[in-house]
Amino acid sequence: MKLEAANLTKSYHQHEVVNIEKVAFGAKGLEGLIGPNGAGKSTLMGLLTRRIAPTSGQIKLDTGQGARSLNPLKSHEVARIGLIKTNQRIQGFDSLTIRDSLRLAASDPKTEGFMSIFAGERDAEDIEERVSRLIEAFPFTDRNGYARSGGEKKLLDILRCLIAEPKLLLMDEPTAGLPDDITRTVMEMVREKVAGGEMRVVVVEHDLPLIWEYCDYVHFLSEGSILFEGAPEEVKANRVVAEKYMGV
Amino acid sequence: MDYLIFSFSLMLIYIGLAQLLHIQFGLAGIPNFGVVGFWGLGLYGTGVLYVTYSFPLLAAIAAASLISAAVAWVLAYLVLQRSGQSILAATLALAAIVATLVVTEKDITGGVQGIGTIGFPFSEMANRNVIYFGFLLAVVIGLIWVSARLRDSRLGRQLIAIRDNEELAASLGKDTAAAKRMTFVVTCALMGVLGGLSAPLHQFLVPYHLAPSLTFAVWIALVLGGKGHNLGAMIGVFATFGLFDILIETYAPVPQDYALMVPNFKLFCYGALLVLIIMYRPTGILGEDAPHERPKAAPTPVPDTPVKEG
Repeated sequence: MKLEAANLTKSYHQHEVVNIEKVAFGAKGLEGLIGPNGAGKSTLMGLLTRRIAPTSGQIKLDTGQGARSLNPLKSHEVARIGLIKTNQRIQGFDSLTIRDSLRLAASDPKTEGFMSIFAGERDAEDIEERVSRLIEAFPFTDRNGYARSGGEKKLLDILRCLIAEPKLLLMDEPTAGLPDDITRTVMEMVREKVAGGEMRVVVVEHDLPLIWEYCDYVHFLSEGSILFEGAPEEVKANRVVAEKYMGV
Repeated sequence: MDYLIFSFSLMLIYIGLAQLLHIQFGLAGIPNFGVVGFWGLGLYGTGVLYVTYSFPLLAAIAAASLISAAVAWVLAYLVLQRSGQSILAATLALAAIVATLVVTEKDITGGVQGIGTIGFPFSEMANRNVIYFGFLLAVVIGLIWVSARLRDSRLGRQLIAIRDNEELAASLGKDTAAAKRMTFVVTCALMGVLGGLSAPLHQFLVPYHLAPSLTFAVWIALVLGGKGHNLGAMIGVFATFGLFDILIETYAPVPQDYALMVPNFKLFCYGALLVLIIMYRPTGILGEDAPHERPKAAPTPVPDTPVKEG
């Protein structure tokens, strides 16, 4: 699993937000991406999932079945190859219950065509089971109803991505808006899946203790460029990171 | 009696159109303001093919519906991924184009003088009007049934998700553009079918039939009944077309001098009703409908995973 970007740039009105010569994600199990506000982390995530079109540069994803350029792909095609991103800002389907939202994410798009109108059962047994198992693991106020609070919506957003079984999951600030214990449960779940070889993960976070605890490798992004990469201890000890980010 | 059956048959057509609009707008969030355009392509397509080119009636209806589908497909490629306002303007423009073409292409459409006479199916039978009404009823019940199945299906869930947040649905691997396009083309083709089926009812087609008032009537019915409710479209048509065009126009003892005021009074009432609904019950008479959960065998119980600390 390798997600590679080369000479990737993005400018808004001649203002360069991202300018990365070369970066690769997915080599280690759980990776972190840190950097000060405005470093271009979210833009980079958007570029990688084709939600934002790059000004220039190449993005390639190798899922083990040969490398594929992501440049010509649309957002849904990127997701189908196995690259999915959780959202930093709360996103959701207001008319779908928690269960339906998860069933939707778990369903193979190929089974959602015109003929599904005449299918006897809407969702296969295994999808129902996966949905139930995931919902039971978290204290939703109304497990058969709608996500109520911002926290529940944020959690649901992450769970939707997990149940879609990506090969590489990008998590954009998973702790923002989530209670600490829920974040822990989510991260333990993610760590388990990574250890089981089900997926690789990149976490974008400001919560550094969480990064140091869970990540095997950390990328440091500042002013649109990758300034340093390494194991958590190396990054922690790095002078540039300390100066630019931790303010010591 | 014949006139009453005609009115009820026409009402069925309206219910069918409103039901299709419920799929387009209520489920998939596509604001189609050119209902009369797609319906009109079916209506006039059938008339032209039947009268000018001597197609058999069924073949004419089928071919005219395919024309509706083809036009919808092209329009879908052009505007469906743009904003709601663009879709609204483009579909409204399409309806205007269809109405204008019918007037200008008088060699095949008969222009302002109209075109006729469209043959009536089941013509050898005595009570053919009633039989045709029964046939239309079956078609519309079929439409309502399919639309209910659609809402509870995986495709319907996907359409609702797209309506709520298209970008998010795409980020989960859903080909939102294709789903919307397919839905739009199929429902527009069915509007064409309803247009074709209206041709024998009207028998003689004139450009007046393609006035935008049909689009507005269907929209008002949908909003009144509840755009998000499966049966809202039907209730809406009863409350507008059924109440005014059938009950009041046929049965109310309106003095001769005031008879001409009835259509205007009707429009006035539509407007007032619409304002009241939007003010006091924006989801319509029936409101929003939650998808119907079929009872399922209880899933194998999963023990509560304790929330891990630290």
